[in-house]
Amino acid sequence: MDLVNNLTLGFATALTLANLLYAFAGVLIGTLIGVLPGIGPIATLAMLLPTTYALEPTSALIMLAGIYYGAQYGGSTTAILVNLPGESSSVVTCIDGYQMARRGRAGAALATAAIGSFFAGTVGTLILASLAGPMVELAFKFGPAEYFSLMIVGLIGAVVLASGSLIKAIAMILLGLLLGLVGTDVNSGVARYSFDLPELSDGINFVAVAMGVFGFAEIIANLEHTTKRQVFTDKVGKLLPTMAEFKYAVPAVLRGTTLGSVLGVLPGGGALLAAFAAYTLEKKVTRNPEIPFGKGNIRGVAAPESANNAGAQTSFIPMLTLGIPPNAVMALMVGAMTIHNIQPGPQVMTSNPTLFWGLIASMWIGNLMLVILNLPLIGIWVQLLKVPYRLLYPAILVFCCIGVYSINNNSFDVTMTAVFGVVGYLFYKLRCEPAPLILGFILGPMMEENLRRAMLLSRGDATVFFTRPLSLGLLILAAALIVIVALPQISKKREEAFHEVD
Amino acid sequence: MKIKHAKDFWSGMMFAAFGLGFAVIAQNYDMGTAARMGPAYFPTVLGGLLTLLGVIIALRGLKAEEPDSQVDKFHFTPLMLILGAVVAFGLLLRPAGLLVALTVLVIVASFGSHEFKWREIIPLTVVLTLLVLGVFIYGLSMTIPVLPAFMRD
Repeated sequence: MDLVNNLTLGFATALTLANLLYAFAGVLIGTLIGVLPGIGPIATLAMLLPTTYALEPTSALIMLAGIYYGAQYGGSTTAILVNLPGESSSVVTCIDGYQMARRGRAGAALATAAIGSFFAGTVGTLILASLAGPMVELAFKFGPAEYFSLMIVGLIGAVVLASGSLIKAIAMILLGLLLGLVGTDVNSGVARYSFDLPELSDGINFVAVAMGVFGFAEIIANLEHTTKRQVFTDKVGKLLPTMAEFKYAVPAVLRGTTLGSVLGVLPGGGALLAAFAAYTLEKKVTRNPEIPFGKGNIRGVAAPESANNAGAQTSFIPMLTLGIPPNAVMALMVGAMTIHNIQPGPQVMTSNPTLFWGLIASMWIGNLMLVILNLPLIGIWVQLLKVPYRLLYPAILVFCCIGVYSINNNSFDVTMTAVFGVVGYLFYKLRCEPAPLILGFILGPMMEENLRRAMLLSRGDATVFFTRPLSLGLLILAAALIVIVALPQISKKREEAFHEVD
Repeated sequence: MKIKHAKDFWSGMMFAAFGLGFAVIAQNYDMGTAARMGPAYFPTVLGGLLTLLGVIIALRGLKAEEPDSQVDKFHFTPLMLILGAVVAFGLLLRPAGLLVALTVLVIVASFGSHEFKWREIIPLTVVLTLLVLGVFIYGLSMTIPVLPAFMRD
C-alpha cells in the first residue's frame, strides 16, 4: 500500500539521529518561548526561523514544525497557570483551565491538555498523510486561473472565519498583498516601490514584517499594561486526572479532534477557529454539566486543546499539497520553505519525497515528544513564568534582532523591522487584526503571477475565471462565504461565537 | 463635528492613504494591457480597491457608535525606546561589534519598563551576552562581528 510505503520512508527520514535531535530541539525551544506570555506562535516562529538557516531543508522544516506545536502547547500551559493566553488559540483554554488551577487541579488540566493534544495530533497526522496524495493529484489539474481563484477563496476564508470587523480584515489583506509586491517585478525587471534603495529591490523581508507587526508591537503594547499576573506555582497538584474527570474528558477529546481536523483544512481555519468552535460545541452537547462551564469543567480544557492541535496538524494539508497557506502560521512556513529554495506546491511531494513524508512523520514524533517532555518538565515551565516581564522582553528583543540581522547579514532588515514595529503598534491602537496582512503579504506575488499567466493564456479575456469549471466552483464558494457571513442573523452568531469568552 | 468611532475612522484614513500611495506611485511603471499586464497593473487595481475600502471604513466610522471606540492614548516613550534600541543595534553591529551593540540594545530597551533597576539590568546584559556568544557565535557559527572594528584583525 502506498500510504504504508510513504510513511515508512517518512519515519526512516524522521528517525535519523540528527532529525530526532532537531525535532526535539524545536519542540523544546518552541515550548520554552510559547510558555512566555504575550508571544504567540507567529512571533515565536519568526524569531526562531534564523536558527534553522544553516540546516538542511528537511531538518529545518522538521525543527520549525516542532517549534510551532511546541509554541502552541506552551501557550496552553500559560493559559492554565496564569490565565494569560500565550497565543490566541488558547484564549478558550483560559476559561476553564484557570478555574481548574484555582481549585488545585492544574496538574490534571495540564495532563488532559497534553494527552488530548497528543491524541488529536496523531489523528491529524494520519489524516494529513492519507489526504496528501489525492490532494496533490487534484492540484495537478490546476492551471493559473484555478490557482488565482483558490487564493481568492483562501483570502476570503481567512477573513470570514477570523474575529473582528470583516471590512477591516479585507483592507488588511489588500495592504498585505500590496506590501508583498514591493521589489523587483519578475516579468519586467522593474524595481517597484524600492525608492532607489538597493535592499528594497529584493522585496521586504517577511521575517521583518512578521516580527515587527507581531513581536515588537506586542512588546510595546505589553509595556503599557502594568497588571500583575498571579501564577499558581505551588499547587499544580496531581498530574493524573481522576476517573470521573477521565470519563468526562474522553468524549470531549474525540469531539474536539473531529471538529478540529475538519476546520483545520478550511482556508483561514487552523487552530484558533477550531478551539472556539470546539468549546461552543461542548457547551451545546453537555446538558447537565457536573461543574458549570467557566467554573473549571474539564471538558472546557480537553475539547479546545484537542481541537486546536488537530487543526494545527491538518492546516498543513493545503500548505504542503497546494502551496497555499491557509493561515498566517502556514504563511510563515511557506516563507521558510522559500528561504531554503523549495517552491511550495504539489511538486514538493514528488520532487522531495523524503522532505515531504519526513516532515509528516516527524509531526507525530514531535507530538509524542511533547507529552514526554512536558509532563515531567512542568515544574521548569512554572519557574519560567515567575521571571518578570521587565527581564524577559529585553531577552526577546535580543533574539529578534540577531535573527533579523542574520537573514541577509545587514542592518537594513533590522531597521525595517523597527518600521513595521511602528506600523504594528498603529494597527494595535486602531484594532486592526494583523494576521490577514501576513497572509496577503505571502500570497501577493503568487497571486499576481497566476493572474498574469491566466490572462495571458486567455488573451486578456477575464471571463476565463468563470468558464473553467474548477475555477468557477472556487469563486462561487468564495462568493457564498461572503454572502453567508453578510447575512444579518449569521453575522450576529459569528460575533457571539467570538465574544462568548470575553 | 465629533467622530463617533475614532478607531474605525482613523483605520479607514490609514488604509486610504496606503492605497492611494501605492496606486499613485504605480503610475511611474508600465500599465500594459489586460492580456500582458505591466508592473503597474496589479498594484493600481489593489491600491484603488484599498482606497475605496478605506473611505468606506472611515465614513462608517463617522456614524457608527459603539462602546470602546475611541483611540487609546499612544505611549510614545516605550515605543521610541524599544524601537530606537533596535535601530541602534542594527547600526552599531558592524562598526562596533556585538558586545557593544547588544549592551546598548538591552540597556536602552530596558528603560522602556516602569521598573528599571541597574542592579537587575547589568547582570541581565552579561547573561544575554554569554548566551548569544554560546548559541549563535560558537553553537551555530554565525558570522556576526563580536569585537569593535578597530580591535578586529
